[in-house]
Amino acid sequence: MSEMLLEVQDLVKSFPIYGGLLQKEVAAVKAVQGVSFSVRKGETLGLVGESGCGKSTLGRCLIRLLDPTSGKIIYKGRDITTVAGEELRELRKSLQIIFQDPYASLNPRMTVGAILEEPLVIHNLYPNLKDRTDRVRHLMELVGLRPEAYSRYPHEFSGGQRQRIGIARSLAVNPELIVCDEPVSALDVSIQAQVINLLKDLQQKLGLTYIFIAHDLKVVEHVSDRVAVMYLGKIVELAEADELYVNPMHPYTKALLSAIPVPDPKAKEKRIILTGDVPSPINPPRGCHFHPRCPMMIEECKAAYPDRKMAPGRHEVCCIRA
Amino acid sequence: MDTLLEVKDLKTKFKTEDGTLYAVDGISFSLQKGRVLGIVGESGCGKSVTSLSIMRLVQKPGEIESGEVLFRGKNLLKVSESAMREMRGRDIAMIFQEPMTSLNPVFTIGDQIDEAISTHRPKLSRAEVKARTIEMLQKVNIPAPEKRYGEYPHQLSGGMRQRVMIAMAMSCDPELLIADEPTTALDVTIQAQILDLIRKLQKETSSSVILITHDLGVVAEMCHDVIVMYAGKIIEYGTVEDIFYRPRHPYTRGLLDSIPHFESGQRKKALTTIPGLVPNMLHLPKGCRFADRCSRVQSDCRQQYPSLQRLRGSHKVACFHPIEDVRKDVSISSEGGSQ
Repeated sequence: MSEMLLEVQDLVKSFPIYGGLLQKEVAAVKAVQGVSFSVRKGETLGLVGESGCGKSTLGRCLIRLLDPTSGKIIYKGRDITTVAGEELRELRKSLQIIFQDPYASLNPRMTVGAILEEPLVIHNLYPNLKDRTDRVRHLMELVGLRPEAYSRYPHEFSGGQRQRIGIARSLAVNPELIVCDEPVSALDVSIQAQVINLLKDLQQKLGLTYIFIAHDLKVVEHVSDRVAVMYLGKIVELAEADELYVNPMHPYTKALLSAIPVPDPKAKEKRIILTGDVPSPINPPRGCHFHPRCPMMIEECKAAYPDRKMAPGRHEVCCIRA
Repeated sequence: MDTLLEVKDLKTKFKTEDGTLYAVDGISFSLQKGRVLGIVGESGCGKSVTSLSIMRLVQKPGEIESGEVLFRGKNLLKVSESAMREMRGRDIAMIFQEPMTSLNPVFTIGDQIDEAISTHRPKLSRAEVKARTIEMLQKVNIPAPEKRYGEYPHQLSGGMRQRVMIAMAMSCDPELLIADEPTTALDVTIQAQILDLIRKLQKETSSSVILITHDLGVVAEMCHDVIVMYAGKIIEYGTVEDIFYRPRHPYTRGLLDSIPHFESGQRKKALTTIPGLVPNMLHLPKGCRFADRCSRVQSDCRQQYPSLQRLRGSHKVACFHPIEDVRKDVSISSEGGSQ
């Protein structure tokens, strides 16, 4: 087993809502409500869940783009929950992110060369212009961009190519951990496969650790070593990818897996169709957050949020019925 | 079986500053009564323009250049605008991807469904129209329909809004429903609810459905027949079993292979990809449009465009060097369309 890279303990992030005459805090969106997990060096942890489950907020907290409300983030044995200033800037070299929308996350007025150079300038890496340009060219080659792309603008590229630019940018500073926030959701299937393969290649070559956030369970299963399923700000189940897909224990995971349309006309499995929508994170249900939609709900589920149970094979689940 | 819709050599062009491009470039297909036809393909392949052309909703600078759209034998491209207007919603209804932008934010959902009904059934009294609206809301499983009747679109969740769109589309019992990426904006558990609903309503009313999607999983689950489009052309057509078990076009094969599968044997292997990008529609290659990305390409592929050739049964493919028929499955012939 390789070393522990990141440890998250009881992380909470809520966004206050202000209202009334005096603009006092009247409520809060509890986006992440006490999440704990750890990531080892070189592994990929998948985070799945539906819109509004807090997966992106969690991803952003991890690399300190958002300040957690409470809890701890430990990176390489060091508490980084509250680091600031120069220290935080130094830290950003190790923690990077790839965003979902390759159209919105690249500055349209900068050439690809300038986009890739910027992080090097900010972090004062390769102070010599010639070295810097070489580094940019090397990055472009690494992600499969042609050298001509250097002086082009983002609008001249297709979605898949732009995502390659985004990936190259995050690699510029030689990070150890990359949060991939829905990196392939905006792409067509054939292009999606190209980008997934690229991410996996880079991981092997550079020894990267990924936190892979997506709503597409098939993609997450394909890239991840372990997968955490989130529902309304909590991790409801966490297990090895194979284990989770073969032997899901939480009723929500089961429903989620059975809801995916399978590209096989004969696969007419019995589908669990959940009723209703995800409740609001401003006012989550008492007890288990999933109980109003759960087909296996019993009275006890309404009383308190279930504790984390450990099943064989490093399989964690939060459900009293599992 | 009765043919409900027949599209013949339809061409829809868009005039741009850099030249004219054909988003739909001479496609022909037919749809039988009570069948669900899927149109799949990647962004920009012309699947949405196909549906808009059938509805005659293509906006400037787009224009239908030629072809026929025969609905119950009548050419829709020849009827007057007012006649077409009457048919939209009554005979052919459509639901779109983004329910928020297709609903009017300043009217209640009740008003909007009422309007759809009273436009096509002017003889109904207001009370009757309202009763029908509430019945439709009930049919699409909206809880407390009387209460929801007076609510505005922003008060509903994405899944609910799509249900409202479906209620509106089905309110006049159309014979053909065109659903353009109806679940793309929704989460999987909500998508499962909506697909289940469309399937149920389709069976109940035995209407025909054209389902446009990029998700092959949705196609496998919902459709009887499938059209695969690439760069404005139909490159393969067949029953859902033909397409998923015996794809003959290298592009269809490539699409199927690039989806991650759950089978543990396949796991962790690199995904099969289709190299390269979709060609620029303004500068299309002379021969087959897929030639530059194809693993089976030969010199004749670059000379001329392969026409759609009939193989076995209804299965057609536009390829000079199709993949060999891998007919191992014996039970196939007995199964005409799933579900």
